Amino acid sequence: MDRQTYQEFNRIIYRRRLANGLLVQLLPMPGFQKTYATFSTDFGSIDNHFIPYHEEDPVLVPDGVAHFLEHKMFEKADHDAFDLFGKLGADSNAYTSFTQTSYLFSTTSHLHENLNVLLDFVQDPYFTAQTVQKEQGIIGQEIKMYDDDADWRLYLGLIGNLYPHDPMRIDIAGTVESISQITPEVLMQSYRTFYQPTNMNLFIVGNLDPEETLSWIDQNQGAKNFLPAETPRRLFELNDPTAHDVIPFRSLTMNIARPKVMVGLRGIKQFTDGRARLHYKLAVDLLLDVLFDDTSDNYLRLYNNEVLDDSFGYNFEMQRGFHFAYFSSNTDQMERFADEVVAILESADKQIDAARTRFTGIKRAELGRLIGLLDSPEAIANRYAGQLFDGANLMDEIQALKSITLDDLYQVAADFINPQGISVYQVVPHHQ
Amino acid sequence: MHFDLASGVALHVIPTKQFKMTHVLITFTTSQTRDNATARNLLANLLETSTHRYPTQTALARQLAKLYGAYVGMGVGRVGRLHTVRLRASFVNDQIAGTNLFAQVVDLINEILFHPLIDDNEFDGPTFRIQAHNLRQTITALYDDKQFYANRQLMNLYYPDEAVLRVPSFGRVADLANLTAQNLVPVYQDMVDRDRVDIFVLGDVDPAGVRDEISQLPFSSRAVSSLSPYYQQPPHPAVRRKVEHQPVVQAKLNLGYQLPVYYHDQNYYAGLVFNGLFGGTPYSKLFTNVREKASLAYYATSRLLPFTGFLGVQTGIQAVDAQRVTDLIAQQLAELCAGKFSAEQLAEVQDSLINQYRASHDLANNILGRQLLRALLDLPPETAVTDKINAVTADDVSRVAQLVKMQATYLLSGEK
Repeated sequence: MDRQTYQEFNRIIYRRRLANGLLVQLLPMPGFQKTYATFSTDFGSIDNHFIPYHEEDPVLVPDGVAHFLEHKMFEKADHDAFDLFGKLGADSNAYTSFTQTSYLFSTTSHLHENLNVLLDFVQDPYFTAQTVQKEQGIIGQEIKMYDDDADWRLYLGLIGNLYPHDPMRIDIAGTVESISQITPEVLMQSYRTFYQPTNMNLFIVGNLDPEETLSWIDQNQGAKNFLPAETPRRLFELNDPTAHDVIPFRSLTMNIARPKVMVGLRGIKQFTDGRARLHYKLAVDLLLDVLFDDTSDNYLRLYNNEVLDDSFGYNFEMQRGFHFAYFSSNTDQMERFADEVVAILESADKQIDAARTRFTGIKRAELGRLIGLLDSPEAIANRYAGQLFDGANLMDEIQALKSITLDDLYQVAADFINPQGISVYQVVPHHQ
Repeated sequence: MHFDLASGVALHVIPTKQFKMTHVLITFTTSQTRDNATARNLLANLLETSTHRYPTQTALARQLAKLYGAYVGMGVGRVGRLHTVRLRASFVNDQIAGTNLFAQVVDLINEILFHPLIDDNEFDGPTFRIQAHNLRQTITALYDDKQFYANRQLMNLYYPDEAVLRVPSFGRVADLANLTAQNLVPVYQDMVDRDRVDIFVLGDVDPAGVRDEISQLPFSSRAVSSLSPYYQQPPHPAVRRKVEHQPVVQAKLNLGYQLPVYYHDQNYYAGLVFNGLFGGTPYSKLFTNVREKASLAYYATSRLLPFTGFLGVQTGIQAVDAQRVTDLIAQQLAELCAGKFSAEQLAEVQDSLINQYRASHDLANNILGRQLLRALLDLPPETAVTDKINAVTADDVSRVAQLVKMQATYLLSGEK
């Protein structure tokens, strides 16, 4: 077992790739009662176009398959995995993103048994026409619930502007129409392609003994037979990698009291190296802080002019194959908000020049936030992005952040801020 | 470890090596009235925005950034009938920061609590206007969340018109018009001089050193009055019902019940297990029978408020199913009254509650929240919680279920 020590934080991470290709990582946290485990596959909502395992021809599966599969994995012929966790005193859950599906549990007892449940239910697919049909009702309700959520509509609407012909434009859960086309065969095809051990990782954090835990996992995996590994053949390609297909503006009317606006910026730089991608991501995070955080003059001016309020937020999302930033607020001055955000982005160089004295504080604040996450087993495991950042964990991320200088920000600003990547989405009350 | 800093001002230090962060919670507690919630929320917003030394939020934010991005924020909360203004701070511990961050954060807390931007007996005008405006907008926007909206509507049905608890802890838009930069100053003075104050420090700290630093906060002695969080109301003679129509895709059906089970009375643990079986855990009857088996809802949950004797059910459904869902919920409750649940289900819920309880020791905010309740209620440290949960029998659950009385139903529907 490979081990890496992080002296500064008094943490050791243990790592091993099993014979079947599964990557296992263990991070003990002395003093904690809880153990948190995630079992993840690099398969998300955008992976709808691929050549299935051991087949020749590409398929295009209905939107929402990854999320549907996540729901269906729990149900077996004579039991529900969820109940097995329950009987062992554990909480379990799962979630699907654009590029990843994760199954998880959190427990303060019976770690060995719970680990077996996790590995076994995810590695034992069971789909029937009847259970698929029932799930269509449940997920249909879930999709409808989000239809009433103005913040979600704002976010999804903006992504639809940024990627109008790419699968990200669709809700991760799909649509009521698309999920009605899902069959047990479709689920099995996706499962065989993306749930191979070589495409998955197991990350366990908290109250655990690394040697003993690894021996349990070895035992479990050693007793199973797996089909020969085959690297998933994804056919995902952006419709227009230069982002000239971005829709500059759309607006939606909803039953709400306060207008909401979101400005998006789609980046076009592509990366082959995970650590370079991480460096870029951390540098963009700092760049956005320089431009918009609450220590900036921009923020104070816009706040005092009521162009934005305490609901203001911004974020940078780096995913496999695409990345974008967004800036949003509830505001009565939607046009002005968008104009101001764009003007600040377009004058980034000048803003960086003016931030020399603030930069130490900004970087320290970002470090403090990441260090705060070290107290959360969930945050450590959920933040792990695998291949995307070449296996970097939270401690690696903190080290990488330390190396970034103010001068690095000029380069990422030039790479990231392109006028054709900018878009605005509004959610407006009925009466306006 | 407990220190009395002044009459009515207590310091509780919880040293632990578990966390990389240090956490501070300071609470100002008084009984809620119909008028004070809005004023105190606005006050909390003003205090966290600026001080004499840091007269803009940017100046304050820059100071926080220098302290490794220390978080210092203020807000309001409620424990039953008691209204609390809360200051929370969390920051990298001195060992990792390699400097005396704790002392510097206490210095900043001193600024925020004792040197607000008040001159000539009024808060700074521009700051007041913008914070009042923002609070109005923030409260208005809360109601855009239909789940939240439906819950508030149910509370308005459940509580009688004159009940103080009808006013949410964060206040009401209508009350903002009565607040001024002048009349908020006595609200501030009342809070720092007369409220009961509890200070909690959690982290890798030395208690004596913490006491010395915190003692520099100039809290004066105050009269210690007994404050009770408990609230009771007589049951309504008939169930109060309301149906409302709005253009929503998913309907919300919320039910309110009275359940006279209170924090740490003899039925408390039975009440927790009952709620876990009813709708408070994923192993509950509402989750398994209404959501999973009947596919009638995306969510169907219950929660128990152990200071007010209130039990609530929230569901997201199709409006056409409202009657079916209502009947199904009533059936789940009737089954609990009749003891119709398996020993296995009971054990699952108990294990789940125990897991939640144990896991809560890994979250600083949960530890602080529990300490706050202990302090306000003057209870000794809790012991043998897992034994108490495990000791609840099926008969105990049925007995508690029989105490449940339906009081109000609210339906938000998209269909006419």
